[in-house]
Amino acid sequence: MGVYIAALGFGLVSAAVLAVAAVGFTMQFAITDILNLAYGGVMIAGAYVAYFLNQRGVNIWIDMMASAAAGAVISVLLNRFLYTPFQRRKASHVTLIIVTLATGIIITNAMLGFAGPNSVTYTFNGGPTLRWGSFQLTSAQLGIIALSVALMASIHALLRFTRLGKAMRATASNPNLARNCGIRTGRVISVTWLITGALCGIAGTVFALDSGSFVPSSAAGFIVVILAAAILGGVGQPYGAMLGALLIGEVTELSAAAWSPDYKDVIAFVLLLIVMVARPQGILLRGATR
Amino acid sequence: MNNQTLFYITTLVVYGGVDVIACLGLSMQFGVAGVVNFGFIIFQAAGAYTAAVLSLPSDRANGAFQQYVAGLHLPFPVPWIGAAAVGGVLAIPFTGLLSRRLRTDNTAIAMLVTAVIANALITNYRPLFNGAAGVSLVPAPLASAIDPLSLNYQYVYCGVVIAVALATFLVLRRLTASPYGRSLRAMRDNDLAAASIGTNVRGRRTAILVLGGSIAGLSGAILVGYINLWAPSAWTYQETVVLIAALIVGGLGNHIGAVVGALVVPLGFEEATRYIPAFGPPGLVPALEWVIIGSLILTFLWFRPQGLVPERRRILGLASVRNPSTESVDLPSLKESSTDA
Amino acid sequence: MRSTDFQTSTEPAPQSGSGIILRATGLRRDYDGVRAVDGVDLAIGRGRLTGLIGPNGAGKSTTLGILAGTIEPTAGIISYAGRDVTKLGTHGRARAGLLRTFQQASEFKRLTVLENLLSSVPGNPGDSLFGALRGPRHWRQFENEALDTATALLQRFRLEPQANDYAGNLSGGQRRLVEIMRALMARPQVLLLDEPMAGVHPKLAREIGEHLIALRDDGMTILMVEHELSIVDQLCDPVIVMADGRVLAERSMFELRQNTAVVEAYLAG
Repeated sequence: MGVYIAALGFGLVSAAVLAVAAVGFTMQFAITDILNLAYGGVMIAGAYVAYFLNQRGVNIWIDMMASAAAGAVISVLLNRFLYTPFQRRKASHVTLIIVTLATGIIITNAMLGFAGPNSVTYTFNGGPTLRWGSFQLTSAQLGIIALSVALMASIHALLRFTRLGKAMRATASNPNLARNCGIRTGRVISVTWLITGALCGIAGTVFALDSGSFVPSSAAGFIVVILAAAILGGVGQPYGAMLGALLIGEVTELSAAAWSPDYKDVIAFVLLLIVMVARPQGILLRGATR
Repeated sequence: MNNQTLFYITTLVVYGGVDVIACLGLSMQFGVAGVVNFGFIIFQAAGAYTAAVLSLPSDRANGAFQQYVAGLHLPFPVPWIGAAAVGGVLAIPFTGLLSRRLRTDNTAIAMLVTAVIANALITNYRPLFNGAAGVSLVPAPLASAIDPLSLNYQYVYCGVVIAVALATFLVLRRLTASPYGRSLRAMRDNDLAAASIGTNVRGRRTAILVLGGSIAGLSGAILVGYINLWAPSAWTYQETVVLIAALIVGGLGNHIGAVVGALVVPLGFEEATRYIPAFGPPGLVPALEWVIIGSLILTFLWFRPQGLVPERRRILGLASVRNPSTESVDLPSLKESSTDA
Repeated sequence: MRSTDFQTSTEPAPQSGSGIILRATGLRRDYDGVRAVDGVDLAIGRGRLTGLIGPNGAGKSTTLGILAGTIEPTAGIISYAGRDVTKLGTHGRARAGLLRTFQQASEFKRLTVLENLLSSVPGNPGDSLFGALRGPRHWRQFENEALDTATALLQRFRLEPQANDYAGNLSGGQRRLVEIMRALMARPQVLLLDEPMAGVHPKLAREIGEHLIALRDDGMTILMVEHELSIVDQLCDPVIVMADGRVLAERSMFELRQNTAVVEAYLAG
């Protein structure tokens, strides 16, 4: 029984990592209508930026800010010079997906070229392990959870209480109408890429932190899990993504405890396929129909 | 020309032939019918594994160092037929996924994800196909008739591959040039409108998936009969990306473009890197390869979306057609289509 | 590939006595809590050119979509030529002779005009997997005959010079014409037109109107959703008025103009 409670705890960590990633991903889709398959690549780029600083003795939690910056910059550049031009040319959804896929491959392999195929690990102090009953988490893991909660709360505050957040929500639900109401959707979109890019960078670093060691191709498998969380909650719904992340985080960890850790991703995939076939608008009651 | 060069050339021909056949299958599915099967590589892999386990002896042979299903030790051409059949049948469960309800990019993702996880499943579950190590010592077809190590065997294999590739090309071209092909292109353009004039869109998509799956399976069988081993590393989801790149470079929607693309990208490109001496840290050259393939895709999509060999406009014979009033630019096949919800 | 789950469109439909060829009862369609169509009953008379008018959001296009099979109703029954077709999909209804056009021009953009027209001709032996595999000899003759019919149609609408142009390259009005001609090539018994004159040059609209009347006189049944009241006035009899997802009235245009309630609902929309 204890192993399941411990799994619940690990599930929280997985969920925390996944939430940061999935919320960024789903917001990109909501506001710009692009399913950005390069997301994993940008995550890993952020992780490597953190590693670079980490090797020079900078504390991992500060490195994350650099990851956020890197993620933000890369994402904004990608949108400005690649995605938007194609969108302006009225490229079909298939074309755009191929574009993001190709971009992701370029980024991931550029990292591979620079960093080499050997896996790397961050140097950090995991901190004391806290125990509470069968729960067992290191300080670092608790830190990840805390960071994730803080980020989720910030996103919530942004969307609900700020003018920018309202503009983002308006653009997400009806870009033409938003534009006619005077919202500068172009601006909103750029800022969205900035913010979600930062989330992406941080997500990469916490992912790497939680995984222990990582290589550039680690993101390829993880993008599947991100997709699962995003689509489960309804693509384009930030709160849905958080819920999806929690569900998937817990289910994968519990199944790993029950059967074997090898099939964690498979469970996520099966969930993803079931949702896509049975209820593509996600499990939340009021899904955005696109 | 010494033997070594001859062996090299025949190897090129076989690899090229396999690439051509696979690309033709995808060209029919994606280029002509507009079916977004980004998990295409699974079908080639299924064919390769099927041919392998049908032709291999039981897995207790050879010191039982491998673990796999079947192992029926069947002679050529049964493994190849089995491979094509499995490739086709495997396509059927996916037709539900490829129905209209999902936006095309969602469908693309679903198929990509399927490829990723199929790979993970096979890698982790050893009893199926020997996991990450893959199956090896796959018997070469007709090994009892011709010595597989001889140059003659190479020539025969080349001949067979070329024959299959040619046959595939001719069959697909016949299909595409017919009214059936026209209705597929209509479906690709606007599946809602196609249904409204009586086309059974779901049925046609299924048929095309099965056809493409069979072709992919056959290409896998041909490849595994030649290289005598098959492992998950040979069919990552990125391999589908290579095929997509081939079609984009060669030209979507026409089979000559598919052939050109297959020769330029998977074959030409990967062979070209063979001549580049390994420099930098290990793994740099393969990584650069992928960077270039990705860049090729983006470059062509932007500057020449119709590919090297654009899809031809089909002019139907009319005695009284005067000069066309508009300068018809060949429309790139990846522009906005009205099917996306 | 083509299942014969219904008679071909060239067979005469069984007479139902009242001359109603398309009947809808209790149609309802909900979208996320919004009731787009709310209890609609329709009886479309055979050989009539019926108009369907109403303000924006009245549910006209949705109703047409339900009749054509492209939209699934939340409730209701549709019967066509005496048979319940509620469960029959779009392509099944099309094969049975019930065809529709779309509000936004839905010609096949990357096919030529001729290819568009040929694509809908029923009974093409080359239009199946095995038929196509048998080679051009199997379908060449059918195609040539269809080509003649298509050419004649193009000549009638003076689009012959564009016969081998990509349909997507044509002007808005011409593309709409291509879509209508494509539907006509399928030899429909009932034609459902969704705002066929929208964005079309008035002169061309008049020509299309004349052609529709000629088709009606030849026995075709047409149901037309249209905004432009003058066109409805010229062509349609009877006229069905919808508002808020319901049918308000079904009268001749003359009677309608005298009925102020309807006019007000229309102006308010």
